[in-house]
Amino acid sequence: MFIGHLHRYLGNEVECEDVLEDVYADIWENPDHLRDIEDDRQLLRTVYLYYMRKRLREVYRRLNRRSCLSQNDLQNLMAPDLGLADLVSQEELKQLLHKMLGKLKARERKAIELWMEGMSNRAIANQLETTVGAVKMLEFRTILKLREMLKEQCRESGGQD
Amino acid sequence: MANTHREIQELLADYAGALRDGCLPTFLKSLTKEEAKRINESQDFWEATEIVRLMNSASFGANVVTPDVGLFISRVDAGIASRLKKAQASTRNPSRSHVNLQ
Repeated sequence: MFIGHLHRYLGNEVECEDVLEDVYADIWENPDHLRDIEDDRQLLRTVYLYYMRKRLREVYRRLNRRSCLSQNDLQNLMAPDLGLADLVSQEELKQLLHKMLGKLKARERKAIELWMEGMSNRAIANQLETTVGAVKMLEFRTILKLREMLKEQCRESGGQD
Repeated sequence: MANTHREIQELLADYAGALRDGCLPTFLKSLTKEEAKRINESQDFWEATEIVRLMNSASFGANVVTPDVGLFISRVDAGIASRLKKAQASTRNPSRSHVNLQ
């Protein structure tokens, strides 16, 4: 569960393992935050906020000393606050995305699905018979559309609770 | 990533590609001051990154596993042992760090 969650921010399995190693040692050193945990969601939230986030920030501080991004932006990009759907399980996340993708126009959906299959933007452009620039713009607009759908979805499920 | 005047949609696409392909440091190093400023000022970029992470997680994160759990546990054990050693050394000689600062 933890390595899958770390992959969300790092995208690199070797780095995920290195970070997780430190996270486990940190938990061993200071397990107080993990008292009274009731379910997996609370466990993931606590581990992310108290142990993982600090380590993620350290990794990128070390790797990107010469980055033009400000320290604050770097932290927000690499180890952000938990987002709207950050605590849903992998299965719930897949269902949620599937549902949201189903509401998109065919071309938007195709671009996102091809990206999620691992295709490059050039390959996606070839498939859609357009330019790389147009694909990037399409992806950007579609992602913002998905973000709005996600907000809406969270409002709805919040209202149902 | 040769283009140094990327618009925000190009920056997001490059960030998404780098996250998916596990090479975020390359993306970060590719940013110019102007692009970093553009990212800083774009609310859309920050909102979009959340979806990118979710897409990455749903498509690739599900398959991530620790290839050798035994080796991983022994690395964690070694890390803990090293911390214990350091903690013991510092309690045995608490003034040492102070002396080094002189």
